Amino acid sequence: MLEKMMKTKLFGWIDERTGAEAIIKSQLTEYQVPKNLNYMWNFGSLALLVLVLQIVTGIFLAMYYKPSAAMTYGSYTVAFDSVERIMRDVNFGWLIRYMHAVGASAFFVVVYMHIGRGLYYGSFKGPRELLWIIGVIILLIMQGAAFFGYLLPWGQMSFWGATVITNLFGALPVLGEPVQQLLMGGFSVGDPTLNRFFSLHYLFPLLLAAIVGGHIHALHVVHSNNPTGLDVHAGKSTIPFHPYYTVKDAFGVGVFLTIYTYIVFFNPQMSGYFIEVDNYVPANNLQTPAHIAPVWYLTPWYTILRSFESKLLGVLMMGASLAILFVLPFLDRSKVRSSRYRPVYRQMVFLFFVTVIVLGYCGHSAPTPTLKLIGQLATTYYFAFFLLLPLVNKFEKTKPLPEEI
Amino acid sequence: MTDQTDQSRRNFLYVAAGGMGAVAAGAAVVPFLGSMLPAADTLAASKTEYDVATVQEGQLVVIQWQGKPVFVVNRTPEYLAEVDGHDDMLKDPNSEHIEAVSAEWMDTPEKRKYRSIKPEYLVVVASCTHLGCIPLFKPTKGRTDWGESVPENWPGGWHCPCHGSLYDISARVIKGSPAPDNLHLMPYKYLTDTKVLIG
Repeated sequence: MLEKMMKTKLFGWIDERTGAEAIIKSQLTEYQVPKNLNYMWNFGSLALLVLVLQIVTGIFLAMYYKPSAAMTYGSYTVAFDSVERIMRDVNFGWLIRYMHAVGASAFFVVVYMHIGRGLYYGSFKGPRELLWIIGVIILLIMQGAAFFGYLLPWGQMSFWGATVITNLFGALPVLGEPVQQLLMGGFSVGDPTLNRFFSLHYLFPLLLAAIVGGHIHALHVVHSNNPTGLDVHAGKSTIPFHPYYTVKDAFGVGVFLTIYTYIVFFNPQMSGYFIEVDNYVPANNLQTPAHIAPVWYLTPWYTILRSFESKLLGVLMMGASLAILFVLPFLDRSKVRSSRYRPVYRQMVFLFFVTVIVLGYCGHSAPTPTLKLIGQLATTYYFAFFLLLPLVNKFEKTKPLPEEI
Repeated sequence: MTDQTDQSRRNFLYVAAGGMGAVAAGAAVVPFLGSMLPAADTLAASKTEYDVATVQEGQLVVIQWQGKPVFVVNRTPEYLAEVDGHDDMLKDPNSEHIEAVSAEWMDTPEKRKYRSIKPEYLVVVASCTHLGCIPLFKPTKGRTDWGESVPENWPGGWHCPCHGSLYDISARVIKGSPAPDNLHLMPYKYLTDTKVLIG
């Protein structure tokens, strides 16, 4: 089909002026991909799909959303009312908002799977260090965008979540207070905060779109890793991206959309995991909800923050837990990439996945002494995983690698 | 290895899969475009109540209905007399050209002429049918009050400042105007003797 289209006169006209044929060939029809990629390799294209979904639904929501904390009747605000108007009065507003809210969680599910895949199969290792680093930048921007977006409904969780996070920056010595005021545009979270968060919430996805372009470009320079971790760039071990992986990605999209639409239509709040119950209470700057926790995708880092007695140390360690991802490619010294042939690393990375889930659970639950201890143990292993990596290859006996895939 | 592809089956699958995809994409567009249509609360605010007794004799009042301007004129007997005698100057003297200029209650030639349920109270959409400006009210005959802005045989009515469209005192468009139609009517009815419900 694509070949037929590329033979038309119209395509020829475009090709003369853009070099479209060369791009399509080098990036799709003649772009070589290892033939043994499993379904874990579907999450990259799914992340791109969700990004597009979020941008499209977001643009339509912005047609009705009003970022103002001005009061209306009965201690409601313009922002809160505009969200309720989207849910009740705007045609299909409920659908578009639920698509956006569920999409936020879906984005993190997909991206965390994508990152886990990279960790397990050693996709972060040379020559893909920069590809991984760009990916970490994408993760940070995503978390920022999600955080800004969560303030917009101006509910209780929005307000107190933003209060807690902006206070984090207040912990920094000397710079703390000015930075905090810079973020909030005042002395507490208020109308100016809401306005700038809306502006940034619109900006960040555009940044994401640009950086994702860089991520894909970087990928196409160094090519995809594969479950064996072997270097394969041509010959019998590879197949062209189109049509083989476009079809496989399309199948993944079908499976993803089935689950996504099921949640959107039948369980959009996911029992308070995707949209927290307290956020249906209008923001009240004089009363904090009884139990306050971030949305699930930020809870692992929230636990790390809570695990330290010193406020400053907690903030720094939370920052470090994300920053350490940047240096991961340089911490791991093993020559073998895939966990399939690295028995020790394999155990470590499995335990790491469990640890992140435990951290997430602790962060979502009300703090108790037991959970605090578990959270501290999990935090310890979180960092130990990274810091032990330079030592692992000194004693790890890797299994023999296959000749070809 | 020989090529064992069954090309006709493959083509069928291409078309079937592509067709289903196109249908799904088309369906997905519906809620997004639908969301841009007026919301339920906007539609709910689409009726306006107005007491025409508040309009003085000979006075014109501009009120809002669905965010659009609406003329309410209390026509004096002199103004009502201006309705007759210039049918040859009008593009559509009986308001039959399009649906928007006609109404169900226009069942007599009288009502077609006055374009109102009660002759003295004219209620019309105040947007010029050319490009939507609000015409100026110039109700008296001739050029005495209005100078060169109206023709010598001016029957009295409205003059649109944007592109010079002219309407008579029943808001019927005068030949030579760029506007195609008489000023539109909106549905309205009398709730009491003087209270009208517009919309």
